Amino acid sequence: MTLPTIKALAISEEITVVPRKRWFHHAKGRQAALINVALTLGSITMLVPFLWMVLTSLKSPAELAQFPPTFFPQEWMFSNYAATLDAAPFGLYFRNSFVIATTHTFITVVLGSMAGYALARIYFKGREAIFLAFIAMLMIPTYTKIVPQFLLVKFMPLFGGNDILGQGGSGWLDTWWALIIPGGLSASAIFLFRQFYLSLPKDLEEAARIDGLGEFRIFSQIYTPLIKPAIATVGLLTFQESWNNFLWPLLVTTSSDLRVIQVGLAVFQQLDNTQWQYLMAGTTMATVPMVVLFIFAQKYFIQGFTNAGIK
Amino acid sequence: MEVKSQIRRTASVAMVALLGLGIAACTTGEADTNLNPDEVSGEISLLTPIFEGSPGQDLLEDELLPQFYEEYPNVTVNVDYTTYGNLNEKLTTAVVSGLVPDVMLMGVGWIEAFADKGVLADLGELGLSEDTLKESYTAEIVEAGMWDGNVYAVPIMLDTRFGVARMDILKEAGYDSPPSSWEELIEIAEATTVRSGNGSLERAGFDMMSLDARQAFETMLFSAGGELFNEDATAPAFNSDEGVAALGLMADMVNKYKVEDIGFTSTDDIVNPLINGRAAMGIAHNNLWTQAMEADPTVLDNLEPFVIQGESSGMFFGGTLATVANNSKNPQAARALLEFLSSPDAALAANEQRGNVPALTELLDSDYVQSNRFVQFAMENLDVAQREGGPSQWLEVRGDFAPAVQGALLGQKTPQEALDDLAALVQTAIDR
Repeated sequence: MTLPTIKALAISEEITVVPRKRWFHHAKGRQAALINVALTLGSITMLVPFLWMVLTSLKSPAELAQFPPTFFPQEWMFSNYAATLDAAPFGLYFRNSFVIATTHTFITVVLGSMAGYALARIYFKGREAIFLAFIAMLMIPTYTKIVPQFLLVKFMPLFGGNDILGQGGSGWLDTWWALIIPGGLSASAIFLFRQFYLSLPKDLEEAARIDGLGEFRIFSQIYTPLIKPAIATVGLLTFQESWNNFLWPLLVTTSSDLRVIQVGLAVFQQLDNTQWQYLMAGTTMATVPMVVLFIFAQKYFIQGFTNAGIK
Repeated sequence: MEVKSQIRRTASVAMVALLGLGIAACTTGEADTNLNPDEVSGEISLLTPIFEGSPGQDLLEDELLPQFYEEYPNVTVNVDYTTYGNLNEKLTTAVVSGLVPDVMLMGVGWIEAFADKGVLADLGELGLSEDTLKESYTAEIVEAGMWDGNVYAVPIMLDTRFGVARMDILKEAGYDSPPSSWEELIEIAEATTVRSGNGSLERAGFDMMSLDARQAFETMLFSAGGELFNEDATAPAFNSDEGVAALGLMADMVNKYKVEDIGFTSTDDIVNPLINGRAAMGIAHNNLWTQAMEADPTVLDNLEPFVIQGESSGMFFGGTLATVANNSKNPQAARALLEFLSSPDAALAANEQRGNVPALTELLDSDYVQSNRFVQFAMENLDVAQREGGPSQWLEVRGDFAPAVQGALLGQKTPQEALDDLAALVQTAIDR
């Protein structure tokens, strides 16, 4: 490299050099812009299917048949929602789903947190074996549990005309018991609670014991208030799973009075023909409670996953 | 998704295997060819995968059942609605628990499994015979309700699949009629396929992917003159030369003649590509007519049904049949309901509501059939229609067909390899 070239480089460097602080701000600004662009793209990707669902629910069958497809409806068919509600007693289905999902969430939060606390903070013989059994339960596919679970429900003693040995009647079939009890508590909820309780310091427990608190008060007054994010996370996941449950309510109920929203939506999907506009209208309405719940619980929900959710 | 479907399949196999556990001791009804309505009484349950939507429910509860009650005032019917997508789980759990519905509507290909396990009543013992049924139905359709020489089900409605051509597109390409042979099918499909400058497909010459891959293959298999199983349903026959030729043609349509691309259409599409002109020809369900009436009635005049003609005539039928539980506490009431649902008036109303094909030959002259060209076409050609099923393990193995067919279309296996591998799976299930 010749001397003039080096000089030229030095001069150009002098000209182009940016003070470190300014450069840092520029770089930080560029980074923030890139992150914002990526997040915007991500948000759009997540939102488009939802938007497509809502827009599809407002189109006519003729417009749905068009190719290339339209994005926005040419004619906004709000009447699809009225037609959807006319197609089945969706008010009743909503109520049933809500009752079941709320009850499941309550049972899971109360009993699941107790079980999680016991597995995390109370030493007893066989605790590890029980925990391993819970882990094993997480690995059993839902479908393989359906028949045994169905039989348990059907042969429930002293219910639905059954004798003490569970014979002679229909047990819990086609009752609220069948919809609520078997899905009331899951191994995954207990596992999540255990992980949250494990993440809390032992000092609190020791201080509480010195102050004379019993086990239940340590659980309810000391530790549990500290895991609100866990309660929100498990609660929301339980509600969502229960709200979206389809197969179990379909199997254990026969009367229309006990049917849930997901089973109701199936009326728009016949063997070789789907009424997309009604299905999407029904699905949009079925999504609303979940969206509302997430909006109210998102602060804790996100904390739950970022702080101590999955360890 | 694949894992989920694998789990579902495995669970389905397990559930079918459990069927025998909950079956109560068989009780046979006494043969009685004539029911006395005043003497028939009792509370019975009906499990139905049709009538499940609002119009269907209204039809059943507001029109049909009141007619039934008028004739049989001492019978009460409790209806349990489900969809075909979940009928197997519903039936299997019901059977395992011993609470089998008195009357069950189920599909073609389903009777074998449930009759073999002793779930279904032999209708011969309830007074319905094969000969009587064959006076009113096409023989092949009556046989769809039989197992081991006995009648277990009475057909109510049929779902047929056959070729459909968009005649406006064919005419633009210089063809006045749908293809009458495989050679013509290939020629017209190639002539009507449209690709853009960069090679992307804009219009398929022959669409096979809007239909379930198993049903599309079966239609082509029947067109090749092949059979799914040997005569006594103890071994697969679909990997014969005819089967290989059928799957070979399907694979060639995609990979050699390039008249359709994988993923261009799917069973989840909102509208069939024949309706919006994305396909010139295809294999379609008879309710395409009803769909077109709703989506774009102007296209109806251009839709022309045709039997896919190879060595034989390719037309496929499934359908819904009525059965009675073997352990029904009120077999006479159950039989009365079965007869009512399969009677001309009730069957016609149910078919009209779903846009399906009545199984009863006498309904060919009805206004509904005469006003629906696809249903009319299907009924006029029922003598060449063939069904799926055969062995009692059909429900266990039918889910394995689509992946095998798709594997061949994707070029992952040759048609012979794909069908041989599938045949081995099926044989294992039959021998189990």
